[in-house]
Amino acid sequence: MIGDLLSGEAPAELTGDVCVVGSGPAGVTLALELAKKGRQVILLESGGEQYEEDSQALYEGRITGHQNIDVAASRLRQFGGTSGHWTGMCAPLDPVDFTPRPDMPDHGWPIGRADLDPFYARAQPYLDLGPYRYDFDYWRPNAPGPALPLDPTKVFTTVYQQSPPTRFALKYMETVRAEPKISCWLHANLVDIALNAAGSAVERIEARALDGHSVSVRANRFVIACGGVENARILLNCRKQRPEGLGNENGLVGRYYTDHMTIETTLVALDDEIDATLYDEQHTIGDTVLNFGLKIAPDEIVARGLNNNAAFLIPQFDDETFNDEFRNYGWIAFSEMVKAFAHGRVPERFGERYCEVVDDLGRVTTGAYRHVMRKVKPRSRPVAFKLRQDAEQSPNPDSRVTLIDEVDPLGFQRVALDWRVTDEDLLRLRRTHQFIGEQLGAAGLGRMRLGISDPPDHDIAFSGYHHMGTTRMHADPKRGVVDADCRLHSVANLHMAGSSVFTTAGCANPTLTITALAIRLADHLAATLA
Amino acid sequence: MGKITRRLLLGSVATVVAGGAVYGGSRFACQFVPRHHPDFFSLLDLAPDNPDTRRIGELVVAEAAPAGFDAFAAALRLRPLTGEAATTDCASTRRRLVQDQCAIDFAEGRSVVIDGWVLSETEANLYAAKLLRPSIA
Repeated sequence: MIGDLLSGEAPAELTGDVCVVGSGPAGVTLALELAKKGRQVILLESGGEQYEEDSQALYEGRITGHQNIDVAASRLRQFGGTSGHWTGMCAPLDPVDFTPRPDMPDHGWPIGRADLDPFYARAQPYLDLGPYRYDFDYWRPNAPGPALPLDPTKVFTTVYQQSPPTRFALKYMETVRAEPKISCWLHANLVDIALNAAGSAVERIEARALDGHSVSVRANRFVIACGGVENARILLNCRKQRPEGLGNENGLVGRYYTDHMTIETTLVALDDEIDATLYDEQHTIGDTVLNFGLKIAPDEIVARGLNNNAAFLIPQFDDETFNDEFRNYGWIAFSEMVKAFAHGRVPERFGERYCEVVDDLGRVTTGAYRHVMRKVKPRSRPVAFKLRQDAEQSPNPDSRVTLIDEVDPLGFQRVALDWRVTDEDLLRLRRTHQFIGEQLGAAGLGRMRLGISDPPDHDIAFSGYHHMGTTRMHADPKRGVVDADCRLHSVANLHMAGSSVFTTAGCANPTLTITALAIRLADHLAATLA
Repeated sequence: MGKITRRLLLGSVATVVAGGAVYGGSRFACQFVPRHHPDFFSLLDLAPDNPDTRRIGELVVAEAAPAGFDAFAAALRLRPLTGEAATTDCASTRRRLVQDQCAIDFAEGRSVVIDGWVLSETEANLYAAKLLRPSIA
């Protein structure tokens, strides 16, 4: 069932086997998996069924580090969470992302890719993806073109799958509503996590709506699944019994914030004879929508001291009809509105989106015109490609989420997000591009012009809006906030779900891993509950 | 074994000095004598002529200063495939040899970054040599 704390109909106390806070991809997946196993779940959501200004405003905070990022609008505080506006690119993390690296301090998870593989496979249907196959060989027989003939021990073709993208509110709200094992409460903001008298475990969670209605939740296990920034904010704010914040005995909560550096730069000019059809647009094979890119082999990543990266080739055309530089906020808002109207719905945040379109009317008009022209004009051959990537950053304890003095209407201190983009991260990406360029040259395929200068210009890096790492997983309590089961080292029954537990971020968009980890956590909780 | 006499010693020294003078004088004089190396210059024609390649050539020359045309030409002749290309008449064979040499350079780590371009050393030398190519009378 789904109730609303604002209605005043909630009992003073709710009880269940597991209390899950947050109804984004992690929280909903966890709740559904636990319900399947017969566990009673209390699911708390801060927002409503749709976007609401006052709920969303609780996310507001300050940016103190690299400025090409946002702390509020990039997230959605409503049922379904940020899945309401994610782009849908999916891939698992690579084995090399999990492995500790001697050349990179704080790199490596306490679990390996093999530990997650079964859960990745189960996560695929949640996100409306195809089979759990991310190796090009599997897709090769039906691929629309050949892979670039590169030495696969150096650079190889990687596969990403494209979710529609799945909007968890649209897909799962009615399932949650109909699920007798799930008691979901909207407008229920976590305002305190109370420990037992010994201080060793959570006794209850206090939740309150913006109008003052409140509820206490008691459960055997508690899971915070509110996203990479909010998970840390909650732990840091709940300090009635632990002055430094829950799980923050070693000052790690909020540290190691990492994001993907979204960068589109570096030109690749391929020889006229080369068929790059595979890479220059999305392709549908069977029912699966796929993107193909280039990755450096893991041995070379380690040997050359690089970060992981998947570079996608964005075609550049002489004929402007086929170029996409008109895609900005206005165009995205316009697209969302068109999609919503086409499905017979009024778009969420209609006013905001309408104004984005009005502000960018020129580009929207250009985009609409080009889309029409593309239907009648044969596609010309790209003259070059730019490399687009969500590049990995090295673990950095100084990149962090902290609390500021300003408080929200519920009394929680707001956050400052100090995202660090370093010269070293950008130079590693430059060397990554250079290596790809050398391999293209060695194979006689073309040439590359690097777009990252030395010293690098930090302004080329934008947040991928993938907030990760703030309650990182590590076997050693002095080096991580949660253990391999996503449980706080210092609180017996409190778990974290979502990208805040990522120890390293690799270059895969995080949602698939978030979902896989949620399924894994559900199995663990169901198996260990008395 | 014959005896080393004063006459023999002076003669040898004079021969060496005269030989050096003739060689040095010849090198100096030959700078002003136009010559044809049609195959080698055809090699340079393989390098595209556009603002990018000219800028790359200028940067390579500036980086390698005071090296002149001869140094770049020698570097090109030194590599087996471009050396062979320099003495090959067939244009398509020449092109293939140069392309192969570039690919080998990349595979063996002989790449350079000039003005952002990731190039093989062969290409960089080719652009520089083309820029410095002496005019043929």
